[in-house]
Amino acid sequence: MIVVGELALWIALVMAAWATTISFAGGALRRSDLIASGRRAIYATFAMVLTASMGLWTALLTRDFSLEYVAGHISANMPNVYVFTAFWSGQAGSMLFWALILSLYSAIAVYSNRERNQVLLPYAAGTLGAILLFFLATTCFKANPFTRLDWTPMDGRGMNPQLQNPGMAIHPPNLYLGYVATAIPFAFAIAALITRRLDAEWLAVVRRWSLLSWFFLTVGIVLGMWWAYVELGWGGYWAWDPVENASFLPWLTGTAFLHSIMIQEKRGMLRKWNVVLVVMTFLLSIFGTFITRSGVIESVHSFAQSPVGSWFAAFFFLSTGATIYLVATRLRNLEAKAELESMVSREAAFLYNNLVLVGIAFAVLWGTLFPILSEWVRAEKITVGPPFFNAVNRPLGLLLLALTGIGPLIAWRKASTANLKRQFVLPAACGLLLGGLLAALGMERGYALVTYTLSGFVAGTILQEFYKGVNARRSIHGESIPRGFVRLVARNRRRYGGYIVHAGIVMLFAAFAGLAFRSEHDITLRTGQQFETNDPYGHHWRFISQGASTDKRFNRVVTSVSLETYRDGKPIGFITSEKRQYFDSAERPTFEPSTEVGIRTTAKLDTYVVLAGVRGDVAELRVTFNPLVIWVWLGGALMAVGGLIVMWPQAERRRTRQAGYVSVLAPAHTAVSTS
Amino acid sequence: MNRRAFAARLISGWTAAPVAVTVLARELRGQAQAPSGLDSSNLFAMDQSASRPVRLPPKPGSRVVVSAAERDALEHRLLCQCGCTLDVYTCRTTDFSCQVSPSMHRDVMALVAGGYSAQEILDAFVGVYGERVLMAPRAVGFNLFGWAAPFVVLGGGAVLVVALLRNWRREARAELLTAPRGAHVADATEEELARLEAVVRDDE
Repeated sequence: MIVVGELALWIALVMAAWATTISFAGGALRRSDLIASGRRAIYATFAMVLTASMGLWTALLTRDFSLEYVAGHISANMPNVYVFTAFWSGQAGSMLFWALILSLYSAIAVYSNRERNQVLLPYAAGTLGAILLFFLATTCFKANPFTRLDWTPMDGRGMNPQLQNPGMAIHPPNLYLGYVATAIPFAFAIAALITRRLDAEWLAVVRRWSLLSWFFLTVGIVLGMWWAYVELGWGGYWAWDPVENASFLPWLTGTAFLHSIMIQEKRGMLRKWNVVLVVMTFLLSIFGTFITRSGVIESVHSFAQSPVGSWFAAFFFLSTGATIYLVATRLRNLEAKAELESMVSREAAFLYNNLVLVGIAFAVLWGTLFPILSEWVRAEKITVGPPFFNAVNRPLGLLLLALTGIGPLIAWRKASTANLKRQFVLPAACGLLLGGLLAALGMERGYALVTYTLSGFVAGTILQEFYKGVNARRSIHGESIPRGFVRLVARNRRRYGGYIVHAGIVMLFAAFAGLAFRSEHDITLRTGQQFETNDPYGHHWRFISQGASTDKRFNRVVTSVSLETYRDGKPIGFITSEKRQYFDSAERPTFEPSTEVGIRTTAKLDTYVVLAGVRGDVAELRVTFNPLVIWVWLGGALMAVGGLIVMWPQAERRRTRQAGYVSVLAPAHTAVSTS
Repeated sequence: MNRRAFAARLISGWTAAPVAVTVLARELRGQAQAPSGLDSSNLFAMDQSASRPVRLPPKPGSRVVVSAAERDALEHRLLCQCGCTLDVYTCRTTDFSCQVSPSMHRDVMALVAGGYSAQEILDAFVGVYGERVLMAPRAVGFNLFGWAAPFVVLGGGAVLVVALLRNWRREARAELLTAPRGAHVADATEEELARLEAVVRDDE
């Protein structure tokens, strides 16, 4: 199977080359036989990449240490679940995994559009084939997981213990599913540019895939935050590391696109901008991969000295150049009649929202790249870390939070004063009440106070919208509140799914602001010694060390310290933190010791205990009080649920039936523009 | 592995594989070494030799002017040089295998004991390691450009958006003025207007 897999990888490369050439040729020559051949080549590429992947999984699960990748990423005594996930834990495997998802997506996109979008399809298939060709060529020539060693070691090196975590097993696949999904909208955008069919036709395909990408990126990012929080032990969940930033960038531009696409659907405006956002989202995915795999930027995740960096750079610049050329030569086709009745309208609010989202994307990209620029200009290395990103993005984030509440309240076309008054009074009162209450209770941190005031406002807008909707259904249909709520969401999934996503955003912001009140204590305790302190809410805590213990479990030696914990004098149990030293089947230590954090979670506070070290019976610990952290995970989950509701196919069918103002009154705006 | 062994392993299930391999590995122990030179993950490799001494003589009649909380805050502003990308405080209280952050912490403690202020200690670290030891660049000189650029770009973008919106509004007004009276109503049929009304009521 391993040899078959290796062979299949090379066949996939040829298939992708064939799919690219023949699809573009079929489109240009308008020959249906060539187009069909290109389509089948995409299916064949998927089959071959799947076979190659099965080959690598077989090699991993049979512990074939003659393969460099297997020997470098697993050991004989690792649990099978992590042997399975080792597929994407290293450079070469993750490249193949990327190709696997891309070929699967491509096959689905080509199959589902084979009849609907016959003009766009050959070019979209050709573009997808070209992207596949790049990934497969990079895998074959620069990071081949089937490369064999000159000798067969008795055991492998094992996996970094920090990657042996359930979060790490599911976080990378989700991110890859999100990253790779940006390729489909990009391919259809390229197809639309080539054919000059820049109407609503390509948007219908693109929106679904953009939502899918957004969904997986959201889930992947939040899972990554959770993994960093429970596994790395530094006490936070977001460090503005270049790899984190690389995942955040396409999420930001993708979110901007999901808002601006509504203006094109409703009013036929922003055609150029939407193309730019789709293209930018894909290119940022590639760029993020380049900066983290090339070693040009120092990252805790970096694949330093990676051989694929230069290939990614070449692909990125080639794609960017080709896209700029296509957009520049089709500007006239992207012209649309644009009229706006008022600066205070839903359309304007979406534009402001896009400005802030893209502004944050720029700030993140700028901060990530500024060390390179500084070194180039001043020959001085600098660090751009969390203090910079927090200082720059905090005001922008608050602006975005405010717009999250304002946007949905303003009417399309023009908002009247009466409309504004009617819509804003209650939410504004909610925000001011919450802010005033917190100020009265003694909250002094300015940013936190503003965040909670705005969170109250946005939560008020969401509740008001649901209240009005449910109430209307109750009076018209006589439904109960739960039934009315379910029907309301089911009947307009895009709108109310979007509000649920906004509710998740509010939770996230509230949780982020909670970190302004975190407190940490660096303590040293002998067995039986105790440490007393107060948490940010003023509760009194007492921790009594139960001493250090060491035991051997499966493939690791575990040193742990338990703290008997009291809150306001009442016992609340033990919090245990561990250090783990993994070893291979020959019982040699592998890697540095890793941390298992002890966390006690409540709705208000996480008590986070890290065992920094043990000397005899003396334990060095860090105790951190992290307020409201659980709301990050709940907010992320709510965003995912909202995303699923928006994505649900029925919503798409309804949307097609109700294509907005454009299809109703202004068919000229959406007319197919051909050269 | 021959085909028979491979087939047997497949039949016996993947869960049995590690056991078999472990038994085999123990029998063959000593015959081959694990490939220590291979890259095993995408996480960073720690540089334990990155620490450099940051020492200054104690000030005459020195007394401590930095509190413990201020010292911890100061360490949050210094980058551990082991490659972890964490600040000194977080690294030294998280990872007991790092030798660099404890060493940098000792230097901070000595400078605090020597009567130096937080700013003087930061300057001393910058003097030894360079500006990259700071978690964020100081807002001076070329770095000002780095700090200001996001806001400048956002401001420029805001001006562009407002100009664009005004332009669109002007066009809408011009069309309204030039259009014959009642033209907007006459452009649509009753059915289209009813559909429009439905869309407006049920907008997203």
